[in-house]
Amino acid sequence: MTPAFEKLQKQLKQLPGLGFRSSERIALHLLVEKPAKLRELVQALEEASVSVRRCSRCGNLAEGELCAICADAKRDPSLVCVVEHVPDLVALERSGAYRGVYHVLHGKLSPIQGVAPEDLNLPALLKRAQSGEVKELILALSNDVEGEATCHYITQHLPAAGVKVTRIGFGLPSGAGVLYADSVTLKSALEARREYS
Amino acid sequence: MRLRRVTLQHFRNIAFADLTFSARQQFFVGANAQGKTALLEAIGVITALRSFRASDNRLLITHGQTEAAIACEIEHERFGASRVVIRLRTAGKEVTCDGERIQRLGDYLGRFPTVVFSSQDQLLVRGAPTGRRRWMDSTLSAMDGAYLRSLQQYHRALADRNALLKRGAQAKEIEAFERPLAAAAAMVVQQREQGAAVIGSFVSAAYSRIADGAEPCLFAYEPDALLRTEEAWSERFERARQRDLVFRSTTVGPHRDDYGLLLSERPARDFGSEGQQRSLVLALRLAQLAYFREKCGVEPLLLADDVLGELDPRRRERFWASLGSERQVLATGTRLPEADLGAWEVFDVASGAFAPRPEGPAR
Repeated sequence: MTPAFEKLQKQLKQLPGLGFRSSERIALHLLVEKPAKLRELVQALEEASVSVRRCSRCGNLAEGELCAICADAKRDPSLVCVVEHVPDLVALERSGAYRGVYHVLHGKLSPIQGVAPEDLNLPALLKRAQSGEVKELILALSNDVEGEATCHYITQHLPAAGVKVTRIGFGLPSGAGVLYADSVTLKSALEARREYS
Repeated sequence: MRLRRVTLQHFRNIAFADLTFSARQQFFVGANAQGKTALLEAIGVITALRSFRASDNRLLITHGQTEAAIACEIEHERFGASRVVIRLRTAGKEVTCDGERIQRLGDYLGRFPTVVFSSQDQLLVRGAPTGRRRWMDSTLSAMDGAYLRSLQQYHRALADRNALLKRGAQAKEIEAFERPLAAAAAMVVQQREQGAAVIGSFVSAAYSRIADGAEPCLFAYEPDALLRTEEAWSERFERARQRDLVFRSTTVGPHRDDYGLLLSERPARDFGSEGQQRSLVLALRLAQLAYFREKCGVEPLLLADDVLGELDPRRRERFWASLGSERQVLATGTRLPEADLGAWEVFDVASGAFAPRPEGPAR
């Protein structure tokens, strides 16, 4: 292997989800097997690095000032769903069940991993909440210790009145029976039960 | 349940072993460091997929290998003839039960109970609270996935809060983590309180059998604070926050719990005689056995690691009598046990290899 190849492989290996072997494979693929693709890839990277940025309002990916969702006049701006990462937003969008807008935190509080409030997209969220435009915040963060703490941190910093805060339900997955659910899931499903009509 | 056959590969110093058992009692005899304890350790892994000795499963894999495998054929009260295969890898583990892959630990826990008697057990009475906590935690979580989950959540939130205290973080940030911490603390305390009551009654009963009712024995939960609700814990953590910031660590909570062992109302650790303490250790293990049997309706395997020799004849006789006749016992030692302990299927152990003695228990 040449020094330049090793440098490339080292860079690739630092990307999330890639180990030593896969980075080696990708480097070989780009340099030896399909060199024509390399130009296209470099171009795409350059283009994306220039044009893609965070939406100034919600933190989603955007190519202008606002992302496609924030710019969409048909979305309800008084309903804001708070998610950890962009893929969470994509998953919720795929469900097609939501007509409000989003706020992406780009992480959750995690003192063990050194993620503090200032590392998250929190000030923008609090500003939005204070602006009076938001009627309801839906917290769609993960159901674990850090997700719970982040939810709590957000509610502590919200203005005293005016914004309703809800958290998405935790319970049985669709199509699943009670029998096969674990006891912790059943407990939260029972706690989150609602009136049936 | 009854262990019929066990096959090991690359488990500690055992390169390969395939043992078939027909009797109710097996004895593994050999010099030190030959693989006797490793075998019991491997069998013990079927209960909760962790070792009773090592805290890290990676230590169980033979040095230089990537995977250790344990396969057990078991005659089970509830599942009939079962075959469990456990593969331990440097990154994670894989369990199949009758060819079906186990996806969730919670589904598996409590199926194959084993109880280990080892010479380390003395520390349960004499040692620090950590040992008693760990013993109770493993006893409760081996039968109850919900307890294990509460406990893991508690420790996760505790590590988070401690990290914030070390950094001297803002009160609001610390408070955010006190909420999941308080919820988990309340669950852990409730479950420990219930578990200790059940196990405590088994300990008292077992002790009076072994010590022949000489003095009353009490096993009791001694929580750092007996708070059963999330609100109470929230308030407690909030109150401790200023002090915790000075100590840079959480100074209240179930991670400081203990379990008391009293003989005639006095702490066994300070007042118990050598003999009383030994009886108490046996009573704890017998209580664990009874707890497992009650919780999962299965007769646990008893793994006795080099302890039979430590008991004096009278205590050994009572201990043996209290085991009942149906339970399978797998024991190790550097010498064969006396004949009064019944018929053993004997295996000679040397350098990680096991050889059955055809003629049975020779003296």
